[in-house]
Amino acid sequence: MLEYITRRTLVLIPMLLIITFLIYAGLELTPGDAVSFMVSPDVLANISPERLEALRESLGLNDPFVIRYFKWLGGVLRGDFGYSLTSGVPISKIVIDRLPATIELSVAALLISTVLGSILGTLSALKKGSMLDHMLTVAGMIGVSIPQFFFGLVAILIFALKLGWLPSGGRMMPGYDSFLDRLPHLVLPAFVLGLTMTAGVMRYARASMLDALNKEFIKTARSKGIPEWRVNFIHGFRVALTPVIVLVGFRLPMLIGGSVIIEQIFQWPGIGKEFVAAVRGQNLPLVMMIALFFVLAVLIASFLVDFFTALLDPRVKLD
Amino acid sequence: MNEEIIITVNNLKTYFYTNQRCNKAVDGVSFKLKRGKTLCMVGESGCGKSVTATSIMRLLPTLARIEEGEIIYHSEEGDIRIDQLAKNGKKMRSLRGSEIAMIFQDPMTALNPVYTVGFQIIESLRYHTKMTKRARRKKAIELLRGMGIPLPEQRVDEFLHQYSGGMRQRAMIAMGMSCNPKVLIADEPTTALDVTIQAQIFDLMNQLKETYKTAIMMITHDMGVVAELADDVVVMYMGNIVESGTVEEVFKTPAHPYTKALLKSIPVLGCGKNQELEPIRGNTPDPYNRPEGCQFNPRCDYCDEKCFEMPNDFKVTGTHHAKCWHYRKVLENE
Ligand SMILES: Nc1ncnc2c1ncn2[C@@H]1O[C@H](COP(=O)(O)OP(=O)(O)OP(=O)(O)O)[C@@H](O)[C@H]1O
Ligand SMILES: [Mg+2]
Repeated sequence: MLEYITRRTLVLIPMLLIITFLIYAGLELTPGDAVSFMVSPDVLANISPERLEALRESLGLNDPFVIRYFKWLGGVLRGDFGYSLTSGVPISKIVIDRLPATIELSVAALLISTVLGSILGTLSALKKGSMLDHMLTVAGMIGVSIPQFFFGLVAILIFALKLGWLPSGGRMMPGYDSFLDRLPHLVLPAFVLGLTMTAGVMRYARASMLDALNKEFIKTARSKGIPEWRVNFIHGFRVALTPVIVLVGFRLPMLIGGSVIIEQIFQWPGIGKEFVAAVRGQNLPLVMMIALFFVLAVLIASFLVDFFTALLDPRVKLD
Repeated sequence: MNEEIIITVNNLKTYFYTNQRCNKAVDGVSFKLKRGKTLCMVGESGCGKSVTATSIMRLLPTLARIEEGEIIYHSEEGDIRIDQLAKNGKKMRSLRGSEIAMIFQDPMTALNPVYTVGFQIIESLRYHTKMTKRARRKKAIELLRGMGIPLPEQRVDEFLHQYSGGMRQRAMIAMGMSCNPKVLIADEPTTALDVTIQAQIFDLMNQLKETYKTAIMMITHDMGVVAELADDVVVMYMGNIVESGTVEEVFKTPAHPYTKALLKSIPVLGCGKNQELEPIRGNTPDPYNRPEGCQFNPRCDYCDEKCFEMPNDFKVTGTHHAKCWHYRKVLENE
């Protein structure tokens, strides 16, 4: 086990290096730099080129690209994540402030989609060919094919603006910051973020459950005279679950990617919203740090998938 | 309660409905299973052996239906019409596993890979006995020991993939025997195993038959197995039983051309390598496009115009029956 974790972590390092380098290079190719966003356009027109150069120099923007990348990397390794180029706030502080909101939203969406998706998918499989099954199949198709931002806008329109049941955005009202007070704020974004994935998980869970129910061991289980619920759940569902968990793990990057959009729509003060602002502002150190977090999240997810698979399937060993 | 017979199958017809077509997989099968005896069911692939067995267990897939006939279980409390019970209803469940158990061909797919072997044995005990948790576990270990599995205390907590092929099949038999059923239906239980393991497993089944008076219905392709194990034999062809009788009768004096051809086409263990083997000529007919009358007529040497009518079940002796118009000629080897 320990050996496994060590090995996985060691594999992580080159992956992180390559991915961060690619992101850095990608940003380098986009036109403009932080200075063009820090200084307003009319000032920019009148400012002397020497002063602009001095500003670039002071921000370290004039070094060659590769040098800057390694400087940044060195900083990260020393635990110095740098400062936001636009606001001057330490990046570690920004991340610490914003990360909890994003984790809250993602975990909520993940739970909703996994639990709801598996339940609906299993139900659909058990009642194959029924009205319910057909309805869920259609709903699933709609769910995976309509873009999330559209769902988000519709949800805001209906549940926040028309019906007034839930707040349209933000994470909390000032002064009310217990989890229960915050819960109504979480409901809409979490459901919208989880929706696409719920549909995906549902379709997959249905297929996986049907597959499991067709296995020989289901017949054997029945031949023992045990009750039907036991045949379906203890034998069928339990075996159908493993591939579903794997799918959830593989879809996790989509969830994280989706959170960037959803945070924007719902004004959710998370790291995704910050990310959009940072990319717009060419705020390289911040973009890099957040990207690093996203990558890390995905890699951790894949580790968790392995872990859960090994836990659920005795034939799989972690090695 | 019937003293001698435990299961009577009468004119059983089980049809499959796929793509708007009807496959008469089992088309009027009748036989009797005797207490404490072994009945072997033989026949080519696809002739309906497994479907007959799963009909008795009421484990047919949804696209199959019992159309006609009766399956009677002669229990101590009186006769039970299995064909009339609800498929997964309470009564049927109380028979499955405890009175009638089944073991399947391939234990690798027939046992659940994510539970320990012990768990799966204990599961039957849990629903059919009043044993405590500890007693159930002890019983599972005893059963594995009885099946000749080494270190059963340890093996009981292991998973299927940790067992060898022979051990898997033993574990399956242990599972089938866990509630001392009156009937054990074994669907080609040893096809996947090598000959020594096969012999060991047959020994085990014979022991069980002696100790618990379990009736065994054994489905097989292998005539050697039949010779070794069977008390009675039924020969199936295209959904019908074409011949039935005791082993001696069927083997020594086959009265149906198909049985005769089958015996010639298969080497019998211990008969040396100079046996003359003759494959049965022609192919098994398409189940959707069956021949008129006797199903074997396109491949039969004795075929004449009479054979385009379904033959009756002719009585050769008190126990020996054959479904052939020309059974006398077949018997006399003309
Ligand atoms: N699940 C199923 N769906 C459709 N048809 C089936 C199914 N199971 C069996 N059949 C049909 O029923 C007929 C009898 O099949 P069965 O499995 O009883 O053969 P068998 O005698 O057991 O053959 P084998 O020796 O190969 O096991 C075949 O024509 C087969 O195509
Ligand atoms: Mg079969």
